[in-house]
Amino acid sequence: MNYPVWEPPMLGGGLIIGIIAILHVFVSHFAVGGGLFLPLTERKAYRENDAALLDYVKSHSKFFVLVVLVFGAVSGVGIWWTIGLVNPEATATLIHVFVWGWAIEWVFFFVEIAAAFIYYYGWNRLDPQTHLIVGWIYFAGAWLSLLVINGILAFMLTPGHWIESPSFWTAFFNPSMLPSCIVRTAVSVALAGVYGLVTASTLRDIALRTEVVRYAAKWVLVGTLIIPLAGLWYISTLPPLAREISMGAAPAVTIFAALSIFFSVLVVTFTYFGPYQHPRYFNLTFAFLIAVLALSTTGVTEWVREAVRKPYIVYGYMYANTLRVEDMSRVRQEGILKSAKFVHDHEVNPDERLVSGEDVFRVECASCHTVDGYNSMRFAVKGWSQPMIEYQLLHLNELKGFMPPFVGTEAERQALRDWLASLNPQPATREPADSGVQAVAPAASSGASKP
Amino acid sequence: MNPVIPAPVPIPLPAPVWLIQLLMVFTFILHLIPMNLLVGGAVILAVSSYRGRNEARHRELARRAAHAMPPVVAFAITLGVAPLLFLQLLYGQLFYTSSVLMAWSWLAVVALLMLAYYGVYWFALQQEELGPRGFWVIALTALIVIYIMRTFVANLSLMQQPQVFYARFLTGRAGNYLGPAEALVFTRLAHFFLAALAIGGLGLAVLARSWKAEAPELAVWARRYGLRWFQAGTGLQFLVGLWFLFSLPAEMRGAFLGGDRLSTALLIVAVALALLALIAARKSLAVGSVAILGTVSLMAVIRHLVRIAYLRPYFDPRTLPVEGQWTVFVIFAVLLVAGILTVGWMLFHFFRPAARESTR
Ligand code: HEC
Repeated sequence: MNYPVWEPPMLGGGLIIGIIAILHVFVSHFAVGGGLFLPLTERKAYRENDAALLDYVKSHSKFFVLVVLVFGAVSGVGIWWTIGLVNPEATATLIHVFVWGWAIEWVFFFVEIAAAFIYYYGWNRLDPQTHLIVGWIYFAGAWLSLLVINGILAFMLTPGHWIESPSFWTAFFNPSMLPSCIVRTAVSVALAGVYGLVTASTLRDIALRTEVVRYAAKWVLVGTLIIPLAGLWYISTLPPLAREISMGAAPAVTIFAALSIFFSVLVVTFTYFGPYQHPRYFNLTFAFLIAVLALSTTGVTEWVREAVRKPYIVYGYMYANTLRVEDMSRVRQEGILKSAKFVHDHEVNPDERLVSGEDVFRVECASCHTVDGYNSMRFAVKGWSQPMIEYQLLHLNELKGFMPPFVGTEAERQALRDWLASLNPQPATREPADSGVQAVAPAASSGASKP
Repeated sequence: MNPVIPAPVPIPLPAPVWLIQLLMVFTFILHLIPMNLLVGGAVILAVSSYRGRNEARHRELARRAAHAMPPVVAFAITLGVAPLLFLQLLYGQLFYTSSVLMAWSWLAVVALLMLAYYGVYWFALQQEELGPRGFWVIALTALIVIYIMRTFVANLSLMQQPQVFYARFLTGRAGNYLGPAEALVFTRLAHFFLAALAIGGLGLAVLARSWKAEAPELAVWARRYGLRWFQAGTGLQFLVGLWFLFSLPAEMRGAFLGGDRLSTALLIVAVALALLALIAARKSLAVGSVAILGTVSLMAVIRHLVRIAYLRPYFDPRTLPVEGQWTVFVIFAVLLVAGILTVGWMLFHFFRPAARESTR
């Protein structure tokens, strides 16, 4: 409510963050897992004196650098960019709580990038021993930066004691930080195997391909087997409402949670019966299939993780529309337009009720809803009468647990109601002759099922 | 109309303002080095790639210098993160507002950065395959990084003019603004662009030293050629910099022309160091580089003073409450030193004379 609101049409800010975040998660976990995969495989090649395997590691490291250093680093910056645009207040809060954590993460990031370059350019310049150490330094940097970022992400869902006794340490060592870190590490291992399968599938030498494919498949299997165990622990640390949302209270979220399990089972099954059992017949198409399944798993899982945090962005402290819980009663009294900075009028303007209504929507609802696209407002209220909308606004948080309550004066609520009603001009009342029956039918059916 | 500025976050700052400012300016200086090498380097490479169609030595220069670019981009990005982090900590309420007002442009930076990064890799790794088409790749990359620079200049200029936020909000949808287009933004951009060319040229001269063993003639010529860029860029800067100074609002210009002792002294020393670099670079690259690094550092400090001056009527971070998180800070400081030592150790092994010649 402090900032002007950016409303990307159709997608909405939340979905833009989501898209960038899913791609970034897919690559950045690979950046960590790959950091383990490279030196371990390199060491294996030295121990077994396997020149062909060593050549494979070299070519894999080029792929690694192109994917991780470029896409991984830039998309990570991209998330930071988008959260600043979509949720500036929340970003500012996280930076205030965690700035030294971020600064520490930045040191790890710096070491990680330097090590990646030296590893990649150093194949012919460093002796094997030193080269291997550089690989381990890379992994240390990458995993430690996961550790820090994971703490910050976990904080948003389970801030724990920070709410009563705010400090960096209560924030960082929050209830879900440790299990979530284990899950992420396991995901990294699995994804390192997935990317390994992709590069291994293109090897020409059949004996080598068979060896590496099987080896990479093991990584996928080991990683994916740890995930459910740590995952259960993780789920047990979540706030009760978040657990309910993922287990039935919100159908869409439940479906996605089920999909997440379904996709991971597919990854395991395909990997076991494909590359693990029959490495000889493995090819690039199959590798891409597994990669796509893994990306889908990442996608739906991250989506669920974001969804169960609703209605909050920092659980119990700040709502998704960046209103602080502690400010709610003040805003309820003074009004949202008075509290907000970038609105057209600071009270409902009787001549421009719809402008004021839209302002209220922007400030309180646009963080999760768009007008016409993702989670569309026009679609949500289609066929609703004004009293029906009013009723919903009075009980937003009770009817749907994943929405914050509406706050604001009565005049503001009515302006919002009128704006919402104006989204679907009702032919039945305006032009009685025009297809009145069709307009009434959906109104009746949704009216019956919704409240 | 009163300026509309979001309220700062109601959480105390985790360190005193001077410390955050110090880190912000220091890491900004670190960022400026690869950033200038990137912008200047991309332009110089584009020129050499174009002339390389007829001149073998330009072709050879582009081929060799291209390999230095991927790490330059990587460090321009990595080192850019820290100053932006500290800037958001101190001036978040201004920075986020200006970013949201020009959201599409600002977000485009990420996509463009990705394109430029892959452009640099493409140019470096596939020169043979690309042939003369390589020029288009690197020329487009250069245009992209210049555009990114424009967007940064625009956003950081808008950020220090909170008096225009609300009017901007009222005209058009938030996010569609491309950024302020007043003369000052152009002179500032011209100033930075010239600096980038100069530093890119100097970087080339330094890089050419590592070609001595393999291609002695090229190394000598490339050094001279790089220095020409450096001298031309720095020489012209005496005009453009002056133009920039005179396009600043009168009070600020006054501060640098005797009004404020510290500002004036900094400016004089910075300019004197640039002159020294200009004269000395031909004889000694080391002296020239150190002197110009001094200029860049002082300019970063001056830039910070300009921001403070712009914001004086609206916001002073020293009014914010502070509650130091010293334990974490000490851990950060220790890790920073450890990190630098680790990178130093790796670089030492990488550049050790005993290291076998690269055969990439
Ligand atoms: C935390 C995010 C969030 C915020 C903030 C939010 N909503 Fe929602 N809203 C949702 C989600 C998620 C749905 C469910 C979509 C679905 O079930 O497909 C929803 C559904 C709705 C529905 C349809 C309810 C139904 O029974 O079908 C209405 C109406 C609605 N929101 C209005 C609002 C209004 C008005 C505001 C602002 C005062 C608002 N929402 C703020 C997340 C949010």
